[in-house]
Amino acid sequence: MRKKQDDDKPGLAGPATLILSSLADGPKHGYALTKDVEAFAGVRLAPGTLYEALARLESQGLIEALAAEDRRRPYRLTAAGATALQAHLDAQRRVAETGLRRLRANWGTP
Amino acid sequence: MNSATERAARLLRWYPRAWRERYGEEFAQLLIADMQERPRSAVRTLDVARAGLAARVAAAGLAPGLSLAGQARASLGALWAALALCLALSAAMWSQLAIAWRWTPGNPIKTPTLTTGTLTTGTLTTGVLAFIALVALAAIPVGHAVARDFGRRLVLPALVLAAALAVLAFGGHHFIYQWPGTGGRGGPAVPAGLLAFVWSLTYWFSASWGHWSYLSGLSPQDLAWMAVSPLALAAAVAAAVTLVRRADLPPRLLAYETRVAGAACAVAAVFLACCAAWVYAGGTPGPAHAGLIDIAGTALLAVALAAACQARHTALRTMRLTGRSQ
Repeated sequence: MRKKQDDDKPGLAGPATLILSSLADGPKHGYALTKDVEAFAGVRLAPGTLYEALARLESQGLIEALAAEDRRRPYRLTAAGATALQAHLDAQRRVAETGLRRLRANWGTP
Repeated sequence: MNSATERAARLLRWYPRAWRERYGEEFAQLLIADMQERPRSAVRTLDVARAGLAARVAAAGLAPGLSLAGQARASLGALWAALALCLALSAAMWSQLAIAWRWTPGNPIKTPTLTTGTLTTGTLTTGVLAFIALVALAAIPVGHAVARDFGRRLVLPALVLAAALAVLAFGGHHFIYQWPGTGGRGGPAVPAGLLAFVWSLTYWFSASWGHWSYLSGLSPQDLAWMAVSPLALAAAVAAAVTLVRRADLPPRLLAYETRVAGAACAVAAVFLACCAAWVYAGGTPGPAHAGLIDIAGTALLAVALAAACQARHTALRTMRLTGRSQ
């Protein structure tokens, strides 16, 4: 039952989180997205991976396409996308805080 | 057209047409920009090929990736196409095995004893009849819904479906008693006519393709039927899937079709288990001996059933998401 519920959630694994985080700063087209993600995450999204994730996020209603500009189409975050990103990042923050706290307590790392 | 543009256009061919129509232009611009920074990249080529194939799988309804409205219909189409292949293979193996069993020396035709052979053919017979009943249960409401909202976009697939079914019905009836082995021998469970008709429809599933001496003894009409019948079957399935994908089927009907398909998957699984057990045992000596064609048929049946289960999983997931978003 738990697995079925997880399957139904819009996936925010890997590229999806990076794309939504980039679009949280404003609409961008594919190339600008690649550059922004590379700048803030140090990850270069390959074109196939980027558009696979864009198509899936669009079908889930988490992003939407704007009118094309010079054969490039910008995408922007929807309200549902912002909510999903917020929930995902909150969960990630809880994991990160727990891991860091345990490392400090047991391994003496700063 | 410069080199980067040509290469981008070549890479785009990995994707299905609908995807190219929606994303092709902007994706090509991104590819061209990427090629200017990295002129040669095997990783990029592999990434595009992988994503393109994934888009084709999604377009076939076997994985998420389309809009919710189109995804459920695409998955349902893929589900029933895979089940149609299961039914064709099952019917071919059933009719050939059942007829061969009747010709096995020492096998009492009128009052079969309880042996592995009779158990297998009995289970397969029940399975085929249940499968046919489930296909009818699925087809009737879809046919009704299609007829109610019949529009121009449905004319061509409807005509192809009608023509393919007419070819199958006419050809199957015309060649019904012309094959060696049918001969009108019936039994207590299945009428000889039904067995012979299914045999005639599925005789393309035959080891005789590998035996030139046998093929050369067949008439040109027989050979033409062996080539045309699988094409007509494929055309019928493709047209039916196109109708399902283009028709405006209400969500309740989609849910009903998925439930019926689930029952058909269960029947196909029983069928697969029976065929696998029979093939594993090597069949029975004589005409009911399991050969390479039966091993290939059983393997193909397993692949088709796996595809049907995957498509059903995608359809159910899409319907849950659709219900939640409404």
